[in-house]
Amino acid sequence: MDTTTVAAKSVIAVDIGNTLTRSLLFDVVSGRYRFIAVGTAATTAGSPQFDVSAGIWQSLEELQYITGRTLLSEKDGVIIPSTQDNQGVDIMVATMSAGNPISVVTVGLLKNASLKHARHLAQTSYTKISAEISLNDNRTATERINMLTKIRPDLIIIAGGTNNGATQSLLSILESIGLSSFMMDESQRPSILFTGNEELQEEAKEGLEKITKLRIVPNLQPVLGQESIFPAQKEMNEIYQDIRKKQTGGLREVISWTDGNFTSTASALGRVIRFLSQKYEPEKGVMGVDIGSDATILAAAFHGKETLRVYPNLGVGSGAAGVLERTSLEDIKRWLPVKITDNVIRNYIYNKSIYPSSLPTEEDHLEIELALAKQALRLAVKDIIPSLEKQLDSSGTLLPPLEPIIGSGRVLTNAPKRYQSLSVLLDGLQPTGVTTLALDQNGLLPGLGAVAEDNPLLTVQVIESSTFLNLGTVIAPIGITRPGTTILRIRILREDGRTVTREVKYGSLSILPVEMGEKVSLHLRPLHRFDVGMGGPGKAGKVNAVGGALGIIIDARGRPLQFYQDEEKNRKRNEIWKKTYLKYS
Amino acid sequence: MAHKVKGYHALTSIKRERVLPVTGNVLVRRMQKVSPTDVIVVAPMAPEYLLLDIAQGLNVTPTRADELLQRAAGDSLVKGDIIAGPVGLFQRVIRAPENGSIKIAGEGKVLFEITSAAYELQAGMEGTVTNVIPERGAIIETRGALVQGVWGNGKITYGVIQPVSNDLLQELVPEQLNISFRGTIITAGFIRNPETLEVAGNIPVKGMILGSISSALIPAAKKADFPIMIVDGFGTAPMNRAAERILIANKDKNVALNAQPYDPFQGKFPEVIITQSTTKELQGPPETEALKTGKQVIILNGPLASRIGKIESILSQKKILPNGISALVAELSLSSEEIIEVPLTNLEIIKTTDS
Repeated sequence: MDTTTVAAKSVIAVDIGNTLTRSLLFDVVSGRYRFIAVGTAATTAGSPQFDVSAGIWQSLEELQYITGRTLLSEKDGVIIPSTQDNQGVDIMVATMSAGNPISVVTVGLLKNASLKHARHLAQTSYTKISAEISLNDNRTATERINMLTKIRPDLIIIAGGTNNGATQSLLSILESIGLSSFMMDESQRPSILFTGNEELQEEAKEGLEKITKLRIVPNLQPVLGQESIFPAQKEMNEIYQDIRKKQTGGLREVISWTDGNFTSTASALGRVIRFLSQKYEPEKGVMGVDIGSDATILAAAFHGKETLRVYPNLGVGSGAAGVLERTSLEDIKRWLPVKITDNVIRNYIYNKSIYPSSLPTEEDHLEIELALAKQALRLAVKDIIPSLEKQLDSSGTLLPPLEPIIGSGRVLTNAPKRYQSLSVLLDGLQPTGVTTLALDQNGLLPGLGAVAEDNPLLTVQVIESSTFLNLGTVIAPIGITRPGTTILRIRILREDGRTVTREVKYGSLSILPVEMGEKVSLHLRPLHRFDVGMGGPGKAGKVNAVGGALGIIIDARGRPLQFYQDEEKNRKRNEIWKKTYLKYS
Repeated sequence: MAHKVKGYHALTSIKRERVLPVTGNVLVRRMQKVSPTDVIVVAPMAPEYLLLDIAQGLNVTPTRADELLQRAAGDSLVKGDIIAGPVGLFQRVIRAPENGSIKIAGEGKVLFEITSAAYELQAGMEGTVTNVIPERGAIIETRGALVQGVWGNGKITYGVIQPVSNDLLQELVPEQLNISFRGTIITAGFIRNPETLEVAGNIPVKGMILGSISSALIPAAKKADFPIMIVDGFGTAPMNRAAERILIANKDKNVALNAQPYDPFQGKFPEVIITQSTTKELQGPPETEALKTGKQVIILNGPLASRIGKIESILSQKKILPNGISALVAELSLSSEEIIEVPLTNLEIIKTTDS
């Protein structure tokens, strides 16, 4: 559809990150929506300003300077709607990830059933699970009450019991929650999200509604083993907004500019990935990855069914120390192609946590940040795989086929060489089969997600305008054999009719130098029952691919990637991989 | 773009909110002068509760148990006082298990709060109470020197500051620590030897202010019995000259050291406050300023971390750093008259004069 057929509206999408606030301008150019420019400023949610609007204002001033378009008025703030002389914009939307994670207590009956689902729900937003309550913990009612009054969480998520299932055990937990909430100062009482056995909704209402803010949504686990997260996830996002409004100076004013179109960055990312999953190859899923300063977000969707996970304190800025705390220094070092002492690595990571906006100025420091990003992504992806709609294997350790995978975050977009962005995604996620790795260079995804509901045409047209940089098509066969064994034969048919054949050995990483944008046809013939996503182990097939910034990458290093015990061997291997990339960068 | 101003000020007006997260009794009044150890608010910080199942204890129905209650919500009890009963052949009763009070009673149950020792929140600094926050705490104001840091181990103290050497550039090693530092808040360049923390704890010192610390020592620093505040960062960078000048100039003076953890979203910084008597009219420290030519700045990371320089110029175009990253940079002159280029993101402004 051409935009001239609908009422074209210019849009500013503001994203308030932990470190940076970005204002993106979208408008109609030659009858189609386009991304125009971005203005960036430091986020001012925390000290010393404590007012997010200051950072937004500065980012809009930069946007004004870049575009030459007047967007702000001293008297009225952001000029909405746009005027006839093209001042201001018609719509403003805002997304936010800044702030300390929300403290959550999850409640369920059994650890591996409802409690697990409650945990998944908490992970769809910027939360820190401060405690968990279930029948497995053997706490008495008194112990539960004391625990809750000490923690004073922002939110309690209550799951538990299938519909028509057990009620008594959950009622006893509800009583503890009600009593403990009652004992807290009114201003400090937690919000409660009840998503348990629907037969208990009335009791929950009766017991909790007069004490604190209660929201009731359909059961997260209506029948045993089935997770129905979407209605609760939507409510979770509303709660996030409510809590942030209370905590964040200037946010109410910003929300008034957006006419209420405000959501969490993660939720907006999830929305746009869901949207894309309905647009791209229906048999594969779509994944969006955001490696932020504090948090890593993964969103994957298959046929419009989304799995969203937010991992706060797992980033490459303020969350850098969190990566080190959740893993070991050795796990981070495994990704380094250069020798750096433990102290230098550790000190760099902790300094990055306290100065998250700072940039690495040394070559070694850049390598540490890339290694940190790979490890953050590795931890996140290992956690999300078992929850994805499609599973590749019963072990739940490998990513199912995805097309495309889109990465965002400053560590990827600021990386001086494209291979660095690609290697973070490739090593961190370890995709399987044939997939395209793309880069959201301008950080558009959350903004497009926030706009998608009101103006899906904008989202579609901006995505179609080659807004993402194709880093490369990746072919990653799955299987195990001795290193050096030929596992795949590839015949590449170029558009001009030339044909090249390659043999791929297990353990290798190689690049087919296909020009950016060049279309090729690949005939893949796996050997030794290796699987390249053509319908099963040993199955051959044809696939059309487009060259990316690094051409086509054949990653035959195995899945999951194995490491040596000897760290020097790992380093040397990383050095070889780096040289492979550099040859084509 | 507004840039953050580092919190190092030789003389400024300082205003701090000292509040509890729960309600309590405020013990100070407006315009009252307080010293760091004065208690400003008391509250049962983490009360312990007991949920007593009266019906089960008396072996009656919840409705009957409610009828047998002898006390109501709000009643204070001494250990052994009867809460409910007697009932039955053996005249069963439920007694208060500890000194405490009944918070909620009904449906056969009683929520009982055990009387706990009150938590006392101290002023933490010398100053004047300029505002009372009902049931929570107070706002205290003073004039003096302020040095804010980037990491603290969560402890707080008040005492005499004692630099270990004439400058704060060197590593603090165990051999430098002796009994003359007992009970003082010591300040030094950096530490990387775990033994230094151990020796300091044995003396014991009252607190420690360092330019930097090896991150390998974070777990030990968190466990230390005394407050530790890090001014510049992690590694072996010396104390920056601006903070060093303030700390050395205040040698032997009483300082309030609050090594609270750094939390920019809540505006919490570990800090040292040194109250000064002055009649000068002072404003609060500036918090942001535009980064421009002539400004004094501190380098936040990299090999020159904690060095201070003056901005000679800010390049209008992005520059490619040696590692390939493209960034807006400033040309800085260091005290050695050397000119270097540093990304703007890696700088914060320093105000060296009184604010």
